[in-house]
Amino acid sequence: MAQIVLDSVDKVFPGGVTAVDNLSLGINDGEFMVFVGPSGCGKSTALRMIAGLEDISRGAITIGERVVNDLPPKDRDIAMVFQNYALYPHMTVEQNLAFGLQLRKMPKSEIKRRVGEAAKMLGLEQYLGRKPAALSGGQRQRVAMGRAIVREPQAFLMDEPLSNLDAKLRVSMRASLAQLHERLGVTTVYVTHDQIEAMTLGDRVAVLREGKLQQVDTPQNLFDSPVNLFVAGFIGSPAMNFVEAELVREDGPAVAFAGQKLPVPEESITAKEGLDSYFGRRVIVGIRPSDFEDGTLADSGWARMSVTADVTEELGSEINVIFMIDAPPVEHKDTSDLAHDVADEEEAAIPLAGNQSIWTARVNARSRVRPGERINLAVDTRNLHFFDTDSGLAIGHPEAAQVAAAATAEA
Amino acid sequence: MATKIAETQVREPRGPRGPVRRESAPVARRGDRAAGVFSHTFLLVWAVLVTLPLAWAVVSSLKTDREIFVSPWRLPASPQWENFVRAWNEASIGRYFFNSVVVVGGGLVLTMLLSAMVAYVIARFEFPGNRLIYYLFVGGLTFPLFLALVPLFFVVRNVGLLGTYPGLIIVYTAYSMPFSVFFLVAFFRTLPTAIAEAALIDGCSHTGVFFRVMLPMARPGLISVGIFDFLGMWNQYLLPLVLMPDENRYVLAQGLAALAVNQGYRSDWSALFAGLTIAMLPVLVVYIVFQRRVQSGLRTGALR
Repeated sequence: MAQIVLDSVDKVFPGGVTAVDNLSLGINDGEFMVFVGPSGCGKSTALRMIAGLEDISRGAITIGERVVNDLPPKDRDIAMVFQNYALYPHMTVEQNLAFGLQLRKMPKSEIKRRVGEAAKMLGLEQYLGRKPAALSGGQRQRVAMGRAIVREPQAFLMDEPLSNLDAKLRVSMRASLAQLHERLGVTTVYVTHDQIEAMTLGDRVAVLREGKLQQVDTPQNLFDSPVNLFVAGFIGSPAMNFVEAELVREDGPAVAFAGQKLPVPEESITAKEGLDSYFGRRVIVGIRPSDFEDGTLADSGWARMSVTADVTEELGSEINVIFMIDAPPVEHKDTSDLAHDVADEEEAAIPLAGNQSIWTARVNARSRVRPGERINLAVDTRNLHFFDTDSGLAIGHPEAAQVAAAATAEA
Repeated sequence: MATKIAETQVREPRGPRGPVRRESAPVARRGDRAAGVFSHTFLLVWAVLVTLPLAWAVVSSLKTDREIFVSPWRLPASPQWENFVRAWNEASIGRYFFNSVVVVGGGLVLTMLLSAMVAYVIARFEFPGNRLIYYLFVGGLTFPLFLALVPLFFVVRNVGLLGTYPGLIIVYTAYSMPFSVFFLVAFFRTLPTAIAEAALIDGCSHTGVFFRVMLPMARPGLISVGIFDFLGMWNQYLLPLVLMPDENRYVLAQGLAALAVNQGYRSDWSALFAGLTIAMLPVLVVYIVFQRRVQSGLRTGALR
């Protein structure tokens, strides 16, 4: 086991495309680190550089105590699980598992012991004599895992290992992966584009965009205090609602947008350093769908806003209320990148809303809200997020201040 | 038969005299059937053209010399198996057969090994000159053998390999490689890269990846291209004619030609046909056993 350190790592492909841009990141011994981001954000490239499958254009990668920049993959003592499993089709499951050990000239008895152990752990014992072609997707996935486990490497690298499985299997494999990590305690770097996978599996999650690290933190911290609009919009499902608003001080601090006015608790203003300088100016306000509640069921201390529910999605345990806000959608590079990503995955189903923004509120399933009806929504204003309209950075976020400082230094 | 005629009679009026020709399906079907009848007739004629002489040769190999001339169309009264013995022993078909096996076997192994290695590197590694090497091989496909024959003879003689097995094996290999490389590059490109990467991480060197993982995975492609190379080499006549003057090391094709001359003088036609049949057998076996692969190989070669 070992820690992995990436020190100002760049990857520039021939032709000049920068896939990874000045990535610095420390992965602790035994940590489960998830790289997440939209497609083309450089997360796979970063992983492949750790594995040694891509050259490092600039910077250094250290595994354990060794700088591995010039080591071939086989000498880095890492094991990798691929998206399409990459099992050797001409070998049986047993041979697949044993292959890496045989190449390392391990004694036969030890190979047998390790393969047996891994097969038992993954429930593959009865399939040892089969070829990969005769296995189901889930079984192949387990063999690929087993091939990594038997090696007992310093680190596991996983490149979207669950994305070829169907949804149900993915959930159960996710649980077994978490269990496995708990049990083996091996440093793991896991790449995914699925933020739910990232949130559930990662000890820490690194959000990447266009080769740049946006933020790395525990899942809860990413959710609670995203460093910029991009992270805020990427993490969490349904996504955070954004609107451009004016920060005003009348009876007390408040944000005004689209005919609505939400009071802002005084402690938020003091907690978020620099927010007081925005009074009388425009800011981008973000509200998580989960920070809404049906007004009749909510804490009486929460602020209220009255809207018309356009669509309701009843999920059993909760209801997603989708409504329109009379303000143009926030236009910022961060949000348009997100929209692009959604469009890439062909999940884009945004109806034409003209000059309105579509918001989602998640309310208790006991709410009686119906489509087309007015609903009085309560908002937990302590959890409002504030972003700068130009930089897109979260106002008062300690890391955001650093990013801003770095940006001005660069310019 | 009767029902078929009845059917066509019933259907016939529908076409031109029917109320409106809105149904395009029956028309298309009739067109298909016409094309089918035509192509099947054509194929039938072709099949007869190809198989008849072969069958005739086989049948004649079982006749006496007298029967061959007196009753060329009849089956042999009693099969004369000793024709084969005579061809094998006296007319040295046995030795020629052995020579062919050595030369073709050696050429085949060398071709497979070298072209797989070249093709793998061309298909999988980016380096300056990659395309150039590939096109050189493809260019080799268009190179007529006749053009090279005379210089080839001198080159082989100057290196002292004229009339030896290795000399012929090396020339066969060089001659088969363009097609094999062309074919295998396309094949290696279809194999998933992740498996090679997995092997690299598992601890293989690049050589190890090739021999332990990629080569076994390429087996279907190797078999396909191997069949074509085998057929080409087995039937090769021009090259051994020029490069193998030593009568003891004649390959089968040369041997048959010699047989035709010698046995012709001795009027031993039945042994000639027996020798011909022996020479045909391996080719026939390969075609029958690997029928599917030959088809798929033809398609791959044509499309990629």
